[in-house]
Amino acid sequence: MRRSYLGEFEEVVLLTVAVLAEGAYGVAITDELDRQTGRAVSISAVHAALHRLEEKGMLKSHLGEATAERGGRRKRLFSVTMLGSRTLHDIRAVREQLWGSISPQGLPAVSL
Amino acid sequence: MKTKPPRWASRLLEIFCAPHLLEEIQGDLYERFLRNERFWGSSFARRQYAREVLSFLKPFALKRQTSDYQSTYLLQPAMIRNYFKTAWRNLLKNQFYSLINMTGLTAGLAVGMLILLWVQDELSFDRFHQKVNQIYRLENEVGTGTSKQIWTTTVAPIAEMGKKEVPEIKEAVRITDGSLYTLYKYQDKSFSDEEEVFTDPTFFTLFDFGLIKGNPAQPFPDNNSVVMTEKTAKRYFGDAEPIGKVITADGKTSFTVSGVIRDFPKNSSLKGDFFLPISHWFNVIYANRKDGRTPHNDFHEFSYVTFFQIQPGVSTTALADKLRNIHLRNKPDDTDLTYLLQALPDMHLYKADGTEGGIETVRMFVIIALLILVIACINYVNLSTARSMLRAKEVSMRKIVGAAKMQLFLQFIVETALLFSLSAFLAIGLMTLLMPFYNELSGKQLVIDFSDSQIWTVVGATIAGTLLASSIYPALLLSSFEPLKALKGKVSARLTDAVFRKILVVTQFTFTVILISGTLIIGNQLDYIHSKELGYDKDHVLSFYMRDMGAHFDAVKSELLQQPGVAGVTRANSNIVSIGMQTGATNWDGKQPGETMMIRPVAVNQDFIPFFKIKVDQGANFTGAVSDSVHFILNETAVRAARIKNPVGKRFKLWDREGTIIGVVKDFHFASMKSRIEPSIFFYDPNRAGRMFIKTTGQDAPNVIATAGRLWKQYNAEYPFKYDFLDQTFDDLYKTEQRTGTLFTVFATIAIVISCLGLFGLVAYTAQVRTREIGVRKVLGATVPGIIQLLAKDFVKLVLIAIVIAVPVAWYAMDQWLQGFAYRISIEWWMFALAGLLALAIALLTVSFQSIKAAVVNPVKSLRSE
Repeated sequence: MRRSYLGEFEEVVLLTVAVLAEGAYGVAITDELDRQTGRAVSISAVHAALHRLEEKGMLKSHLGEATAERGGRRKRLFSVTMLGSRTLHDIRAVREQLWGSISPQGLPAVSL
Repeated sequence: MKTKPPRWASRLLEIFCAPHLLEEIQGDLYERFLRNERFWGSSFARRQYAREVLSFLKPFALKRQTSDYQSTYLLQPAMIRNYFKTAWRNLLKNQFYSLINMTGLTAGLAVGMLILLWVQDELSFDRFHQKVNQIYRLENEVGTGTSKQIWTTTVAPIAEMGKKEVPEIKEAVRITDGSLYTLYKYQDKSFSDEEEVFTDPTFFTLFDFGLIKGNPAQPFPDNNSVVMTEKTAKRYFGDAEPIGKVITADGKTSFTVSGVIRDFPKNSSLKGDFFLPISHWFNVIYANRKDGRTPHNDFHEFSYVTFFQIQPGVSTTALADKLRNIHLRNKPDDTDLTYLLQALPDMHLYKADGTEGGIETVRMFVIIALLILVIACINYVNLSTARSMLRAKEVSMRKIVGAAKMQLFLQFIVETALLFSLSAFLAIGLMTLLMPFYNELSGKQLVIDFSDSQIWTVVGATIAGTLLASSIYPALLLSSFEPLKALKGKVSARLTDAVFRKILVVTQFTFTVILISGTLIIGNQLDYIHSKELGYDKDHVLSFYMRDMGAHFDAVKSELLQQPGVAGVTRANSNIVSIGMQTGATNWDGKQPGETMMIRPVAVNQDFIPFFKIKVDQGANFTGAVSDSVHFILNETAVRAARIKNPVGKRFKLWDREGTIIGVVKDFHFASMKSRIEPSIFFYDPNRAGRMFIKTTGQDAPNVIATAGRLWKQYNAEYPFKYDFLDQTFDDLYKTEQRTGTLFTVFATIAIVISCLGLFGLVAYTAQVRTREIGVRKVLGATVPGIIQLLAKDFVKLVLIAIVIAVPVAWYAMDQWLQGFAYRISIEWWMFALAGLLALAIALLTVSFQSIKAAVVNPVKSLRSE
């Protein structure tokens, strides 16, 4: 299974873009990440990851409308590309395959 | 809700962030700022904003978007050829400016490189020895209180004892350049004035002066061996094999040549013609001694330069202490003596006590070289940025047709580089031409030998440095024009370059004013030294060492006095212009235990003091009576240093000579003005006074010299007659200073000329740009003086600012320089006023020439020009 490598953080960012669907841009992604994973992410780290993902061809972007709350500046809105989607699915398949192969004794029980 | 993000942070982001990412990042940050402000208050929001901006300092945000098309043809041969072609055409098209630029650069580079070569030569002294970092010269500090001083010569036994007892000392060499023999003969050739050096055989192994002929394991097979330099060997034996040849010294001793060493490099502090075994010296000096002193126990005679090779990493102070203990064990009463070690490479540029000597001049010259180079660069930058307006259209057209910014940048760099290489080429030629004059001025023997990598370092670094400094800014500026604005003619409104240019002109003239005031102050100080009352009369006095004539002094004197031109004859044991000898063996009533007063003793006869017109302040001169042998005459400083009240009649002891003080003379300068007058003492001992002084009336000098020469031959038939005029000896004391002064003046003049050249070009350009304006003004009734004023005003203002900046800097720098003189002028305001006025005058002269030219042009012509 050949696919380009994704770091853990990149994977989470990519997923968050998918979660947000239409409104995925820097601030929204940062907030969503914060809300969903509970970890404080810096905006610059998110930008860096978005930039890398776009270079890898997993994301595409276009500039949106200017809004007043941004001082009249436009947002860059991201969406997942075919390649991005394929990669996410691949990762998920691998994970599920691995989960399925774990015998009950293989993992110590965790009480939720 | 009115607060804004910190301005500096926004500005910073704009500067570093890649343009294609800027908008989204700005937007995101602003959005977060507003939210933070709402929830947490403005101060937190502002801090958070700044923190987030800083967190964007990452490669992805810094990296500019690369275009897909650029790199393909940026460095193609065709483009490179084109760069050169355009550059060349541009040079030819603007011949006037190219000429100004090239003259300035050539002169600046040539002079800058000449100075740096000098500096490099100074810094290279004594560094060619392999063990340079392990070799130290032993020095002793003697005396107490104000008469404390450092001698670079030591006692003889400390070398052997140190090497034997202190394990950190690996090797020791003693050198003494006494003059045991004056006349050397080989067959029918005879030479006097050889630099004979007595030394240990380790001299040839510790230093890189290995034997090229002879047995290196045994340079001196016996006490009558001699090692000579190649040049000396050639003088004696021509091309014949020198080894084994026998030369006679003063007709009594003979030496066999046992080795030959290479001639000394020019940058060696150690030099000599003849190297004789130091054991030979000891045999002569310690023969028939009744006081029981031998070279192995004599801790009295300080006349040996001692070098030690020391284990790396050993503390020199601890080592010096060990040596002091050895010394005190052998001579307990030398409690005032401490040893010091000076590293071999410091010998040339630092004084014996480690304070700055020649390094000061080196530093001064480095600064001057840099100033000259900077001035030359500023010329180029100023002219090319000023003229950039004229090329705005060219740049815009190129951009519109598709030139990338990088290409334009390269084009202008090539233009600068081309001009620079031409100038560098010319500068190297000019250097070669100037070298003989420069060597004469600087007293060096520099050669431009292009097989020497050192030269290339200096030349290469200078050219590369200046090229870098002066190419980048103009190229950046020129390639950054925005085509639309430039074509509409809106570029000239760029205030920032004008300010930048003004700063450069101010810098240039600041340097100029500093250099002018430096020249003035150095000149004044040198004049002061020359004209300061010395306290004795040195005019028309010739002096020589009498040798065998000394025994017949009275006969010679009476014969000389019969000559018409002779005004007086006297004798002493040292030259009054610089008394070399010094001793601490003194005693007087009231001397504190442990106190030492270093004093300079001079053996004289009764004529000496009146002969030199030295003023007797108290008491009387020697009379020539037998009792004079226990009489002393001190100078004022000695009386003060010894704290003797009413000195006349008091007891004094010099060496083992006990006697009374019969007189005190006014202080006189018997050394360079760089040092304070030291205590000195006259004692009556004509037989020890082997130097004759003859005062002529000034008219019949040749006749007097001839007579003296004839008398010389009568008693010293074998030896050539050599004499010095005191004026000459005196001037030699200040040779270095004189030289520094001359060089400084020359360099300052060149720097001033170069900066004027730049100003000239700048004014010419301004006048050219404003041709039509001037025409219109004239038509409307402006007068010629009015227009000159208009053009000159701006520049004069800049020069005035430069003066204000330069004065404190020059004041400080020159004050530092003057500190090196014990007797110095005080810096006065008029020196700076004069320097400022001169700079202003020079600037005005430069500016007005062009301004007048522009102002007298007939407006009909200038208005028709388009």
